[in-house]
Amino acid sequence: MLEVKNLVKVYKNVVAVDGISFTVKQGKIFGLLGPNGAGKTTIMRMILNIIKPTKGEIIFEDKISNKEFLNEIGYLPEERGLYRKSKVIDLLLYFASLKNMDRFSAKSEAINWLSKLGIKDLMNRKIEELSKGNQQKIQFISSVLHKPKILVLDEPFTGFDPINQQEIKNYILEFVSTGKILILSTHQMDTAEKLCSEIFLINEGKEICSGELSEIKRKFGGNYIRIGFDGDIQFLNHHQQVLHREIYNNYADVHLSDDANPYEFLKSIIDKITITHFSVIEPSLNKIFIDKVNHSSGMVK
Amino acid sequence: MKKIFSIAKWEYLEKVRTKAFLISLIITPAIIILFSIIPGLLAQEQSESTKFIGVIDPSDKFFDNLKEEISKSKLENQQPKYVVVNLLSKNNSLAENLNAADSIVLNNAFEGYVYISEFGNDSVKVEFRSKYAGNFQDLKRIEEAINYVRINKKLRDENIDSKLSSFINKKVKVESVKIDKAGSNKDFDFLTTFYSSIVFIILLMMMIIYSGQMLVRSLLEEKSNRLIEILISSCKAEELLAGKILGLSALGLTQLFIWSIISLGLTGYAVIPLSVFVNLPQIILYFILGFTFYTTLFVGIGSIVSTEQEAQQMTSYLSLILIIPVVIILPAMQNPDSLLIKVLTYIPLTLPSVMILRLNIGDVSVADLCLTTFIMLLSTFITIKISAKIFRIGILSYGKMPGKSWINEK
Repeated sequence: MLEVKNLVKVYKNVVAVDGISFTVKQGKIFGLLGPNGAGKTTIMRMILNIIKPTKGEIIFEDKISNKEFLNEIGYLPEERGLYRKSKVIDLLLYFASLKNMDRFSAKSEAINWLSKLGIKDLMNRKIEELSKGNQQKIQFISSVLHKPKILVLDEPFTGFDPINQQEIKNYILEFVSTGKILILSTHQMDTAEKLCSEIFLINEGKEICSGELSEIKRKFGGNYIRIGFDGDIQFLNHHQQVLHREIYNNYADVHLSDDANPYEFLKSIIDKITITHFSVIEPSLNKIFIDKVNHSSGMVK
Repeated sequence: MKKIFSIAKWEYLEKVRTKAFLISLIITPAIIILFSIIPGLLAQEQSESTKFIGVIDPSDKFFDNLKEEISKSKLENQQPKYVVVNLLSKNNSLAENLNAADSIVLNNAFEGYVYISEFGNDSVKVEFRSKYAGNFQDLKRIEEAINYVRINKKLRDENIDSKLSSFINKKVKVESVKIDKAGSNKDFDFLTTFYSSIVFIILLMMMIIYSGQMLVRSLLEEKSNRLIEILISSCKAEELLAGKILGLSALGLTQLFIWSIISLGLTGYAVIPLSVFVNLPQIILYFILGFTFYTTLFVGIGSIVSTEQEAQQMTSYLSLILIIPVVIILPAMQNPDSLLIKVLTYIPLTLPSVMILRLNIGDVSVADLCLTTFIMLLSTFITIKISAKIFRIGILSYGKMPGKSWINEK
């Protein structure tokens, strides 16, 4: 279990992270979400001991993070970078040695990963000779090679084609299924929605909402339905329970007030118009994200 | 500790394999050999060929004696060093004679010519007119000869006793002897001291500039592609810093070792004088101290800069400071106790090269050795502390100069 307690980071006069607390459990993917400049990277850097928090602490397995803690962490930064002039295998062994992994097991593990990702024949090539996708794979391997207990991934899918994205996704899920901790930071909401079981949404250094994904959807999702129809649906404009609607040629997206029951609503309109389709829409994380971020920014302003 | 060695090993191997390193291994000794060979060649050339010297002496009082006196100088192969020729043609005016002599010299037929004008009352004005006014060896010889001739002529004219005149003509030669505490007196050879000091200072300079730029460049690479984040999330900033300095120092020592082998080989051919190696242990001490100090300084600089251009600017400023001792080498040899030298001895930036210079010029007291070593160690320690701080903050900031708040930040 990784606990982050009341984390604060102040740069000069700017509060980048303002009292953030959360807990990440083994075997779960924890999504750290927020718009650009929200403080995601700062939080990750503090967990990774790259920068020191102004206040607060990070606790792993009931111990405050220390030097040994660094060996248990794997990190895939958002902006990828490798030593361009170095050989693939040399580079992987160097990074593994920095995590205190002995050379022998590092080598066998590296070859194992390279074969898994289908690039074993590249191990003696220089990084600069590799395609961008393959460089990304090397970077990914370097973050998991030493079998970390905690993996921190910052926008892991950028730069991968859909096939490789799927492959990396599978490895991430496999990693977590062995009871490890995974923190994923992204602003690709569809990715987060598919992978994360818990999310933590921040904006301007502050928590906006957090918890199990399904719970958040229930709590902040709102009451959305989609109606397919024939005829004139203009009467929706005056319906008491409709907060907002978007009417297209033959279907309409409707946001009902929180107390309205979608099925009662359907009953109330079914004799006024021909209904061809009716569904309750689960709000996308994207929608929650935009609503929440706009709402919190509005409040701050 | 294990991680420090991993980092040092990586830095060392990555850099030893580069082409730039191989080139530096060859180019630096090449430059130094040029430095030590060329002046020697020039000096040799000077003594090996007979020179033609003209004389224009309208009074006709000095020519014969002057010719006899100058011709006494011999080359090593017993050939006369100078051939003296009368350029005065009685049929022409003085101005025409001078013009003709000028053109002979300008056509390289003659080294130069001596023009003696007499004003009466034994007062003479002598000019040595040549293409290269800086040839002090020839000038000195001519000056000696003309004085000898003039004095003897006067002594003869006045019928002075020959014993007295031979006494007057007997010159006392002052020999320069370098003393050290060990009691063994050595002849102070200006050129040897000069070149050995310059060779060591240039070696140090090249090493510092070369590896400093390499360090700054590698930091810049790690910074610009955020490799630094992976490194810092794997080890402490101080470990990374120590590893880098260790790796680079090993690289520097490799360079030094290979250069030493090259120069040892060359001493066989008497290109580099053996006396250079007398103070070698101390010189190597200052080499290592200076190298480590500058390397830590470059770490701080490498953490601040964010572009290659900035890095180049910063490193070239520092390199300029390193050149100061080369500039002051001549005055320093003439007066090693001057205030300027003393001040520069205690400034960490110039200390190593000034001490190398001083070790070659004369004896450095044990107290001075201890004090300067202490200064270097202390300032290296302070620089490591500051550099580590700048490093920790600077490496994660992009395109910002460090402010006061940086230093205060934890």
